Amino acid sequence: MRRNFIAAILVAAFLTGFVEVARADEILVAAAASLTDVLNEIGAVYRSKSKNSVNFTFGPSSTLARQIEEGAPADLFFSADLLKMDNLDKTGRLEPGTRRNLLSNQLVIIAPVDSKLFISSPKDLLKADIKRIALAEPTSVPVGVYSSKYLTDEGLWDEVKPKVVPVQDVRATLASVESGNVEAGFVYKTDAATSKKVKVVYEVPIDKGPKITYPVAIVKESKKKAVAQDFMNFTLSPVGKGAFKKYGFVVID
Amino acid sequence: MLLRCRIPLAHFDLDVDVAFDARVASIFGPSGSGKTTLLDAIAGLRDITAGEIEIDGSTLFSSARGIDRPPRERGIGYVPQEGALFPHLSVRKNILFGAGRSADISRLKGISVEHVLSVLEIGSLLDRAVKKLSGGEVQRVALARAILSQPRLLLLDEPLASLDIGLKEKILPYLARVRDEFRIPMIYVTHNLTEVLTLADWVLMIRQGRLVTQGVPKEALRSMHAIMQLPEDQFENVFAVTFVESDPEAGRTKVRLQAGQELFIPYLPRPGSDTIQIRISADDILVAIKRPEGISAGNVLPGTVRRIDAIDGQAIVTVAAGDEFYARLTASAVKRLGLVEKAPVFLIMKTRSFRSL
Amino acid sequence: MIFSLETWHITLFSLAVGLTSTLVILPFGIALAWIFARKEWPFKSVIETLVLLPLVMPPVSTGLILLKIFGRRNPVGQWLYERGVEIVFNWKGVLMAMAVMSFPLLVRSVRTSFTEVNPRFEQIAATLGASPLRIFFVITIPLAYKGIIAGALLAFSRALGEFGATILLAGNIPGKTQTLSLAIYSFVQLGKDSDAYTLLGITVALAFLFVWCSEWLLRSAKKA
Repeated sequence: MRRNFIAAILVAAFLTGFVEVARADEILVAAAASLTDVLNEIGAVYRSKSKNSVNFTFGPSSTLARQIEEGAPADLFFSADLLKMDNLDKTGRLEPGTRRNLLSNQLVIIAPVDSKLFISSPKDLLKADIKRIALAEPTSVPVGVYSSKYLTDEGLWDEVKPKVVPVQDVRATLASVESGNVEAGFVYKTDAATSKKVKVVYEVPIDKGPKITYPVAIVKESKKKAVAQDFMNFTLSPVGKGAFKKYGFVVID
Repeated sequence: MLLRCRIPLAHFDLDVDVAFDARVASIFGPSGSGKTTLLDAIAGLRDITAGEIEIDGSTLFSSARGIDRPPRERGIGYVPQEGALFPHLSVRKNILFGAGRSADISRLKGISVEHVLSVLEIGSLLDRAVKKLSGGEVQRVALARAILSQPRLLLLDEPLASLDIGLKEKILPYLARVRDEFRIPMIYVTHNLTEVLTLADWVLMIRQGRLVTQGVPKEALRSMHAIMQLPEDQFENVFAVTFVESDPEAGRTKVRLQAGQELFIPYLPRPGSDTIQIRISADDILVAIKRPEGISAGNVLPGTVRRIDAIDGQAIVTVAAGDEFYARLTASAVKRLGLVEKAPVFLIMKTRSFRSL
Repeated sequence: MIFSLETWHITLFSLAVGLTSTLVILPFGIALAWIFARKEWPFKSVIETLVLLPLVMPPVSTGLILLKIFGRRNPVGQWLYERGVEIVFNWKGVLMAMAVMSFPLLVRSVRTSFTEVNPRFEQIAATLGASPLRIFFVITIPLAYKGIIAGALLAFSRALGEFGATILLAGNIPGKTQTLSLAIYSFVQLGKDSDAYTLLGITVALAFLFVWCSEWLLRSAKKA
């Protein structure tokens, strides 16, 4: 008897792993990893105010775009750069007319929190005491792409390039700067805020820097476009905008 | 039984073409001559390139006619060299494995479980774990398992090879009992001549995958010995004798050869049946040209030299003394005594040199 | 965060789906391992290599291949979608990723335990009249069961640690598809190291336990 009881408990515990409270008006939002905290907060507020619910899947924009390309059932997509969104547009994965440029960000140069580095202009990167600069993969990760574009526009890329250490993503950039293995790195202002072990040594002026854009669009194959639209509108509402600003993003709209 | 097959092996091809009919047929040959492979082929455990296998008129395999019965349909009981008892099953489950679904001891088809248990004396081992069996017990259980699958033929692969001499002596009688009590034809592979002489009615000698000779063991023995050097301890004389009387105080038993001569062997109590088998090594027989006097040996038999086969300093002297005896002497002894064919001689054999089955 | 409801849910989810995926691949793995151990046929090595591939390829490539197969836009995914079955971005995707990635390990381990069973036992059982099925279940499996369980434990541990294929096929959806590995990744990305360490501790403890048991079983099988 006791054995059956224990077995029943185990089976029940096992099954709770599978429990999902399925709600009819629930959408799946695919969003760039850098938007994790802010969208989680907005999502929580949305759930409490609306009868709809929202789930998120966060990851690198390239991976998410790829998944949507293959028909993954996301309803809404927040990308960290225009390129990924453009690609989806070209292959017809986006619901026409729903694409908006939502946010922007500011590029900053960071250094270890105890660094004596002083940067007054990007040319200072050429100084000898800066031996290595971390950059998230300059050919694919949005922040890396923007950073290298910025340096190219400033005419510095060719000379800086030998010092550049390409790393996997923003987190890796932060980690390498935190550890002191590199003297400086490029991240977004919002990213720099997440780590206490780095400090911002230079903020790229918004008018000088690259036009960083976070677009958003409804996925064409979504079965819940109305709900997706509703959530998108919510992110653009004063509540949404306020949250973005709080986390350091620049709101475009 | 009809056996014709060709199987490629590592160093040579096994190529055999024989037909025979016997109670116990022995396949005799040195290690590596292909004996186990032959058994595997008969049992269907080995692929044959070309050939025919037929038992009792039933075809098990025919490459010409495209017949290849799977092992489980051939009705062959296999006792492999190591016994191969299933280590995770009890003795009881092992022996009943091929006997159908009945798990309790009961009468099955022709051979009853009780009969097998009593002949092989393994009734007390039934609930033992296989790990805890001695070498001799393993072989007897493996035998029982094969017999209880009601086979039409038993294959035994050197069943006594892994046992020491003392144990061999103990288990040999069981094999003889199986032969006599269950009447299942057996093919018995061995490289031990004693086993051939004791158990088989027919022997096939295999060497390097080819049949070298075949025949009734005692006769084939002569040509076999001429062909290969037998190890020292293997050359034995085996006789079927009748029990006459026993004398415990004198320490001996009197027996009679088929031709009528009487011999003394070490004391044994009156056996169940009056016919027993006795053995004496060819090296334990002395040959004299004069009747000896004042010696301890209890057996002195007059006889005539039939033939002398000399190889490498050894001589096998075949003496007719009622039955045929083989005595192994040195070449110098033969010369010294001036032994020739038809010479009258006396065979001297100690009572205690005889062994009985 | 430490031992919060969320931690509990992520751990349970990972264990539940991991266990299910192992149970699902077990019959196939055992069957395939037996065929590999006992049978020969032309181009056998091609099949063996194919089965082994997920073990050596980067998990992301395997994930990509799976995504290509099961995405709505592709033949198999489309076929399933029309019947109301979707694998991408839900727990079935997690299960599929875990199953595919841990399958080669299972086959390898079980195959070794089958080859260690002396074929003589199976042969003798055949001469005693047993059908191939009876031989398999009464002789082969009981003699190999320790190795089979050890292989299953190893596969289970691999499933728990699975990341690359999972994130591609099932996405990183907290509460729906987030396994221990995915959650650790997320926390690291967000700089929430202490949360990451908590989950890391759980993962290491579980992995240690299962692999240790697996090795123990293999050792005791060898002694027998």
